[in-house]
Amino acid sequence: MITDTKKVRNIGISAHIDSGKTTLTERILYYTQRIHAIHEIKGKDGVGATMDSMELEKERGITIASAATSCQWKGHEINIIDTPGHVDFTIEVERALRVLDGAVLVLCSVGGVQSQSITVDQQMKRYKVPSVAFINKCDRNGANPFRVIDQLEEKLAHNAIAMQIPIGLEADFSGVVDLIAMKAIYFDGENGETLRYEEIPARLVEEAEDRREQLIDAASMFSNDLTEAVLEETEISDELLYSAIRNGALTRKLTPVFMGSAYKNKGVQPLLDAITLLLPCPADITNEALDLDRDEVPVPLLCDDAKPVVALAFKLEDGQYGQLTYVRVYQGKLAKGDTIYNVRTGKKVKVGRLVRMHADQMEDIEWIPAGFIGALFGIDCASGDTFAARGINLTMTSMFIPEPVISLAISPNDHKSEINMTKALSRFTKEDPTFKAHVNQETGETIISGMGELHIEVYIERMKREYQSNVTTGMPQVAYRETITRKAEFDYIHKKQTGGAGQYGRVAGYLEPVDDEEFVFENQVKGGSIPSQFISACEKSFRNCIRKGPAMEYPVTGIRVVINDGASHSVDSSEMAFQAAARGAFLQGYAKASPVIREPIMKVVVETPTEYQGSVMGSLNQRRGMIVGSQDEGVQSVIEAHVPLAEMFGYSTTLRSLTQGKAQFTMEFSTYKEIPRGIAEELHKKANDKKRDVA
Amino acid sequence: MLKNSIKKRTIKSGMLRDPEMGITPGRKDSTMHNNDITLRTPLRFLESENQDILKEGGFGAILARAGVGKTAFLIQIALDYLLMNRNVLYISLNDPVEKVCLWYEEVYRNISKSWDKKQAKDQWDSLLPYRFIMTFKVEGFTIPILEERLNDLTEQGVFSPHVLVIDGYPFDEPDEKNLSNLKNLVKQRSLKAWFTVRTHRHKEPGPDGMPVSLLTVKDLFDVIIQLQPIGSETHVNILKGATQTEGVPELLLDPATLMVKNKS
Repeated sequence: MITDTKKVRNIGISAHIDSGKTTLTERILYYTQRIHAIHEIKGKDGVGATMDSMELEKERGITIASAATSCQWKGHEINIIDTPGHVDFTIEVERALRVLDGAVLVLCSVGGVQSQSITVDQQMKRYKVPSVAFINKCDRNGANPFRVIDQLEEKLAHNAIAMQIPIGLEADFSGVVDLIAMKAIYFDGENGETLRYEEIPARLVEEAEDRREQLIDAASMFSNDLTEAVLEETEISDELLYSAIRNGALTRKLTPVFMGSAYKNKGVQPLLDAITLLLPCPADITNEALDLDRDEVPVPLLCDDAKPVVALAFKLEDGQYGQLTYVRVYQGKLAKGDTIYNVRTGKKVKVGRLVRMHADQMEDIEWIPAGFIGALFGIDCASGDTFAARGINLTMTSMFIPEPVISLAISPNDHKSEINMTKALSRFTKEDPTFKAHVNQETGETIISGMGELHIEVYIERMKREYQSNVTTGMPQVAYRETITRKAEFDYIHKKQTGGAGQYGRVAGYLEPVDDEEFVFENQVKGGSIPSQFISACEKSFRNCIRKGPAMEYPVTGIRVVINDGASHSVDSSEMAFQAAARGAFLQGYAKASPVIREPIMKVVVETPTEYQGSVMGSLNQRRGMIVGSQDEGVQSVIEAHVPLAEMFGYSTTLRSLTQGKAQFTMEFSTYKEIPRGIAEELHKKANDKKRDVA
Repeated sequence: MLKNSIKKRTIKSGMLRDPEMGITPGRKDSTMHNNDITLRTPLRFLESENQDILKEGGFGAILARAGVGKTAFLIQIALDYLLMNRNVLYISLNDPVEKVCLWYEEVYRNISKSWDKKQAKDQWDSLLPYRFIMTFKVEGFTIPILEERLNDLTEQGVFSPHVLVIDGYPFDEPDEKNLSNLKNLVKQRSLKAWFTVRTHRHKEPGPDGMPVSLLTVKDLFDVIIQLQPIGSETHVNILKGATQTEGVPELLLDPATLMVKNKS
């Protein structure tokens, strides 16, 4: 086992769906001898690519969960997180990027930079993950890697520079020219495992020399030694060139671009070399934790085994031996038998079995050194929890977790399904913070919510397949919200005198809209007009009120409640009386505060052949969409719009029929906006009908 | 060749550190607050009697060297129209939609920085339906394609522009016929169009101060505004078709924000 931090690479493979990243990962594992046979994705040979450990992924040909796996290449340990490509699962991508030091951005040489690549790239930027690009599928019809490099510059603003040029393209693609060694590389053997180095074919010499000049020019920005060598016309060594490119790549100011075809077993080994040569080791990256003892001041973590341990649980999986928790150790080392603490819960945890994962196979290890990724057995925690040594109250930066925007009711078909459904939901909600489940107290229905139709669909299918839980689903419901639009005062007296002890409480103050906060309660009562022991009863009552808005029973958000006056009675005032008074006060103020209903608005990006641009825009417009713009890229166009989620149900079918299946779209939550009056009236009508039906 | 290019770059990067190009803090305008949305955008300084300086069917151009602030100026003009509830079709031949959006947000942030936060946000939300962004590759932008796209937008009831704002049109070798066709299209549809025109330091201007790139097509333009860096200041010079609003001091671009301001 390698323990030298400098020899470790924690990398992710991120890309648009269908760019071939799972195939690429499979080939990497094959060439690093972690697996001994190559399987095709989509389960054509009944086995499926090794990284797709879930049956459902095998069938759909997409990767949903990030499986971490490790392999070795030329004395380096490469830990790979295979990340999902669909936008509905971006929390997985975000979480993976949080623990990575570097990434390979896989692009299709035909499709180029597609909408999802833009999203993934933005995420990489947010987490400052250095990357190298791999232009895959150079054997496909229409392959044009240099167009993709242009797109990397134009669409993603990368300073992308070719490290190779292809030898032939499409069906003639036979290898690559390495612009540093200035050699042609061919991939021989049944599975491309033998590299044959040859002179550059004569027809490519001039192009290779030009491209090498461009490479040196770009790299010299990051090395004075290289600039000097060029100006003095001395020989430029491979090491000098690699070191300059690495400097550029680590600061994200240069993106080295490699090319090949994973499916045809070409170009993967040079990419592995690039991962070891150009991407950072854990010590090259500064990671910070938040000090909970000092108001969450960020403190740097040191990639040093001798320091107290700080580790992040970034993924949970339910295996045959119980819960498997993937962790990244940022500081110190995590050894078998150690006692660590879950910073969130304060619970003490004894480290039992430690493993290194290779997709769904595992290898037992004694410890996980600083900077490494591994997995723990039998630890109860949630995704995103921080583990630390005793006395260390640090937490890794909390990740931005969006609120779910869609929900639906599910009911188990039989008793067995009911028991398994509970188990499944408990697992899924722990694994994925954007997936939530709760029981509606009034109807007794189980409600699940998530980030989109596909997100929820996948979990329902996983329930069926992994937990044998068959459920009937209701219609998807949009997560509407209520809010107020102006300040309104309240002054309410709750008084009841029906014999015996009475009830008395007066609450006065105001409600006002607030940005970026769900609910704020402020007590400005002076002189004890509401005795301090009843303040919390008032707050509790206000909190209860916002759970179900007075207008349509949707949760109320973006509201600030200030109480500044009131009155009490020495005998008749009680917590109950003040709760009732606060409820009355809320209803009184709310009615005057111009309440509105808000709905989730999604950012929708459609990629379509240009001839369908008009009809696609029309279809978005019909769905109350606001089209931000269209990007004309010759044969393809990209349309970006903001569309209410409520209007997006079934859009994939509409888009397919409009464009003969040639367009695709991605969707992600953007913001909440007030719904138009007509729609609000319709919602009111529906809610009233529902109430009548229940009655 | 490589050696030369690196030499050139070394010289260029030295120029970037020229103290004359240094950033000076922008002037805070005390007239803008809460309910008093006083706009400091180009058209307000240039219009006369509340009339738009560019008539229907007209062409306007913003000239400057690279990096002086043409796009920022153009976005200010576009925002001006949006604030007048005019539909603006912004066509970029340089940047993707996302980048254009960022430009708009940045310029709007500068315009509205002293407004009430909520008011600025509400105003912004109300402006967005008046804006449509279209981007093309320079080589893919032709007048028939633009016409086709305009038809798509109007026939589908998606958007009906009043103003075209075109950033990045290749004026280095302007094709008079193409521009005339574009002008006809603009006239037929009762639009008006603003362009950015990149000028070059090494090319001497014509006798009337007009840059070489516009010499053959200047008659097609009704308004021509030049952004000229002099020392640490960028002056807004009107070369054709407009007069500065009376009583308003000379116009400058704030070097920090690229927003238009008066010389004070």
